[in-house]
Amino acid sequence: MIAFGIYLLTITCIWGILAISLNLQYGLTGLVNLGQIAFFMIGGYTSVVLVMLAGWPIGLGMAAGALAGAVFGMLLALPTARLQQDYWGISTLAAAEIVRLVFLNQTFGSPYVGGSFGVTNIPRPLEQEIAPTAYPLFYLCLAAVCLVVCWAVAHWLMRLPFGRALKAMREGDEVPLALGKNVSSLRIRVMGVGGALGGLAGALFAHFNAFISPDYFLPLQTFMIWAMVIVGGAGNFAGVLVGALLIELIDSSTRFISGAVPISPQILGPGRMILISVLVILVLIYAPEGLLKERRRRYPEPR
Amino acid sequence: MVYSVLRFPNFAHVEYATVGAYFAFTLSAALNLPLGLAAPVAVIGAALVGLATDWLVFRKLRERSDIILMIASFALAIAIREFVLMFWGPSPRFYPVGFSKPLRVFGALISPVQIGIIVTAVVCMGGFHLLLNRTRLGVSMRASADNKLLSEACGIPTDGVVRIIWLIGSGFAGLGGVLIALDTQLQPFMGEAIIIPVFGAAILGGIGSPYGAMLGALLFGFAENVGLTINWTPLLQAFGLEAGAITYIPAGYKEAIPFALLIAMLIFRPQGIMGRRRR
Repeated sequence: MIAFGIYLLTITCIWGILAISLNLQYGLTGLVNLGQIAFFMIGGYTSVVLVMLAGWPIGLGMAAGALAGAVFGMLLALPTARLQQDYWGISTLAAAEIVRLVFLNQTFGSPYVGGSFGVTNIPRPLEQEIAPTAYPLFYLCLAAVCLVVCWAVAHWLMRLPFGRALKAMREGDEVPLALGKNVSSLRIRVMGVGGALGGLAGALFAHFNAFISPDYFLPLQTFMIWAMVIVGGAGNFAGVLVGALLIELIDSSTRFISGAVPISPQILGPGRMILISVLVILVLIYAPEGLLKERRRRYPEPR
Repeated sequence: MVYSVLRFPNFAHVEYATVGAYFAFTLSAALNLPLGLAAPVAVIGAALVGLATDWLVFRKLRERSDIILMIASFALAIAIREFVLMFWGPSPRFYPVGFSKPLRVFGALISPVQIGIIVTAVVCMGGFHLLLNRTRLGVSMRASADNKLLSEACGIPTDGVVRIIWLIGSGFAGLGGVLIALDTQLQPFMGEAIIIPVFGAAILGGIGSPYGAMLGALLFGFAENVGLTINWTPLLQAFGLEAGAITYIPAGYKEAIPFALLIAMLIFRPQGIMGRRRR
């Protein structure tokens, strides 16, 4: 039970970073990124390939994963920065599928590494130095530290003029344009930051799970991140973390229910996804601001 | 069409295709109805499912931003897909049509089923054309798509029109699902597999232009299959890259072609081939 709790918290930390990244894009800026999972995938694969094939230390590999996510985010935003939001959503979804197809077809080193086989035996950081019994706890701490750093970065960005310009953009392009802000450049930069966080989360996941394959990065997973942000409360960073915990809890709840209640797995597996999507729809209809509302900063009335 | 009237991309749209296909499967396999009878019933079923989702989900969200609608439709798509998975299981199914001898038309091998698909598609396009241009309903549909406020002022019951569009749109999607399943097979994820090509066809042709969508669908199918057989060597050499005598796009990347085409399309001509620029 404790082991499961540690696992759940670790996974929540990793997905929490993804949710913070999406919150920066959607909650603050209003960018509908339906290909969020691509950052996760690119970060994971970059770190794994650099560590396993090029022999880089894992910490450096993870940093490179974050960097690769940032570069991908900016490249993706470069041509699409002028699109309307619904088109933006469709093109990011398509881009994420292209990335997935590339990793599905690409092998690394030998014909049985990468591609549809996935990558196995991914090394974990400090695996020799730490006792196997304490290892899950160590990884939880690692993921938690990364989460706190990402949260701090997101908060710091929000307080900068950059963050305020992003919030202005969410309400429409007119105001930031009138203030002389370059809207396209702001979008590209926020996608870069979002990509870096997503890439870091991906690298953390790859070295935690020790196995990755393109099947982990379906559009369904992007929806899970969206569910976290919507249910938790778009625009509120604490909220999206609560959302991440809640969604992960539902997602892994089947382990307990299948033992306690006799339901066939054919009903249980789809059942939890139905539960999550119905929850999202209900939140959108009845509580559009999510569980925790965005805290709006009040400014004194101008005299 | 649904896209232009409702003003948001409905990700659940392709799921009506899955639902329609599975309705037809259940009717024909479990109740032993002939497929000719099962298919129309299934299409009506898919249309009703579409109407029900509008009633349950989108009616309450109609005044919100299209981003919210888009996310709700994404959630709905997953809910429908998982329901299908729950009831019919993950393994692929086939219609009980059996094998048929391929016919030779202009030197190409075509199965009778495929001819039936082509005929049905052409009939549907013709019917849709007549509906849009020759009936009162079609005119009010086009008016609502063009300008909702103005058509309300002219006395068109736009809410009713919206409902009818849901019926027709999801009915057509259901029919498409039956046809796809006839040609290949049924599986719960068939809707997910076609979503990008479907949006691509609609965008490529120009949103809100049904004729453009048909042209777009044609181009997409063409690009996906012809793109694989083109020898890209001259292009690579033009960029100064080393290349063998023949360079094909690997078949594993077949699905990537429409995605890439779609993105290129969105960047260079977002209004589509036959559409007008929005906003």
